[in-house]
Amino acid sequence: MNECNLRFSSSPAQDTGSYRLLELPPELAKVLESSGDEATQSWSIKGESIEDAVLCTADKTYTVRSVVLSNAVLVVTPLQSGDAAPDAVIRDQLHEIYELIPSVPRLQKLGSLLKGNEYNEGQEDEDVDMSDNDRPTKRQRLTYHDAREVLQASDAELLQGLRTRRVLIIKDELRPIAPAYLTQILELLLTYLVSLSLSHQAAPVQTLTSSLEEEHEIKREVCMQVMEWFGQIEDEVWRLDELAAVKEVGLGVLRAYKDDTITEGEFLKKWESAVGDTFESSVSLDLLSGNYLTTQNLLTDPPTIELNYFPSSALPTDPAARFGDLFLTRQRWKAEEIAPFLQDIVVNNKERDKLLLKYARTVTNKDGIWYTARAMYNG
Amino acid sequence: MIIPINLHPERSSSTSSTCTFPPALAQFGSDELILVELQGSLEVEGDNIGATVGKLSVDPSTKKPTLLIGHHLLEGKLVNLPKPLAVLHNSPLQNTANDESNSMSVDGESKGSSKSWDVVAVVKKKMVFAKRPIPIMLGKNSGMTSLGVEKKTT
Repeated sequence: MNECNLRFSSSPAQDTGSYRLLELPPELAKVLESSGDEATQSWSIKGESIEDAVLCTADKTYTVRSVVLSNAVLVVTPLQSGDAAPDAVIRDQLHEIYELIPSVPRLQKLGSLLKGNEYNEGQEDEDVDMSDNDRPTKRQRLTYHDAREVLQASDAELLQGLRTRRVLIIKDELRPIAPAYLTQILELLLTYLVSLSLSHQAAPVQTLTSSLEEEHEIKREVCMQVMEWFGQIEDEVWRLDELAAVKEVGLGVLRAYKDDTITEGEFLKKWESAVGDTFESSVSLDLLSGNYLTTQNLLTDPPTIELNYFPSSALPTDPAARFGDLFLTRQRWKAEEIAPFLQDIVVNNKERDKLLLKYARTVTNKDGIWYTARAMYNG
Repeated sequence: MIIPINLHPERSSSTSSTCTFPPALAQFGSDELILVELQGSLEVEGDNIGATVGKLSVDPSTKKPTLLIGHHLLEGKLVNLPKPLAVLHNSPLQNTANDESNSMSVDGESKGSSKSWDVVAVVKKKMVFAKRPIPIMLGKNSGMTSLGVEKKTT
């Protein structure tokens, strides 16, 4: 008997509005169908009431978009009625489905949320105070748990974001490390690697952390997290990512020259002495591309190259605004000069060239090709 | 705010867990849930709780579904969805325990007091009735005559 009664739900108050249709991209459909490890994943919808909702899986973020249907979709389930064939019951009538569009994690809010929570040297005692008595602290610090709640990003993307932003997790609180303090810890780590003659590929974590804790009062948990940012810890053994560490130390030296300039030679000398003899060979200005501007000082003899700190991470992420800022800083750029400052907002070189076509004008003269702003309204 | 989605909810002891569609109908979706698309919508005057809409049948040989509502016969077809659809269901009854501790207002994404959503089915097909209804003469009513499928101009 291939016939059944189609009926309305007998409990419409409970059923109506309790169904949603979610269109699944192929990779998510696979997760739902698999019964292996992936099956234990959980997904969630995240967002404040003023934000567009996103769906987060364990490691990806999707924008949820509602698509209105002109047709009605009935959600029909079976219901046993006596001995006969089951009735088909209309649980809900839907007029929209949700589409999922892959999206970048929305971590922009993190910067403002973490303002004032910086973790610096000498703050170890303050934490002890807080745990001693239970008086409420003046201001609640953002915890990892809070961040998960308010940021529209999957867990994996959030952790990665915290790592690249150099944010420590201390007692579940998120504390961006003070750049100068980070440089100090790194320099100490590099120094101890050499002075204790430990292998860069496999340094015992315990030895390093206790040295830093005893002699410099750097907490073990801070030290461990810094080591994880600049290398890998496996089985209590640290494998140093030499270039990343040397780069960070270089940034630390460069940071002082935001408004002043420093000659290239002098800067390299400072950088080399900061990392020590062993790591001197890794020092190269290329590591810092996108973080400094060069100017030629023609007043000295011979003319010298001068650097100052100009991090692309401090520039706006919106392409139009970024080009605006770049051309305010300099009226014209060489292709190889401007490229590093666009690297973090494009996925590949093709996209970069597209942006250059859209937002910049090329001028060719005897020095080669220059990029200038498209519209020069103010002269 | 986080609204969890349970990918593999425990089968509750609701009616749907024991009852399944006969294979002829289950082929249009899953054993426990099918999606029926109507061009237009069902509009009812008065109380419709538990009321019969009509007869849904599937021709065993051609596998064509038909829906008889009053004097109107609708012919449908099986449509494969370009992308699978997850059918989400929230059952507020199961979550009453958490309601008080978690009574923040929920945005437009899910109205009401919903706290979590269960993926109750993943369907790859749907039953679509896109044609105009054919008026037929019947000896007796097989559905509610007061019901009709309103056609929308698209």
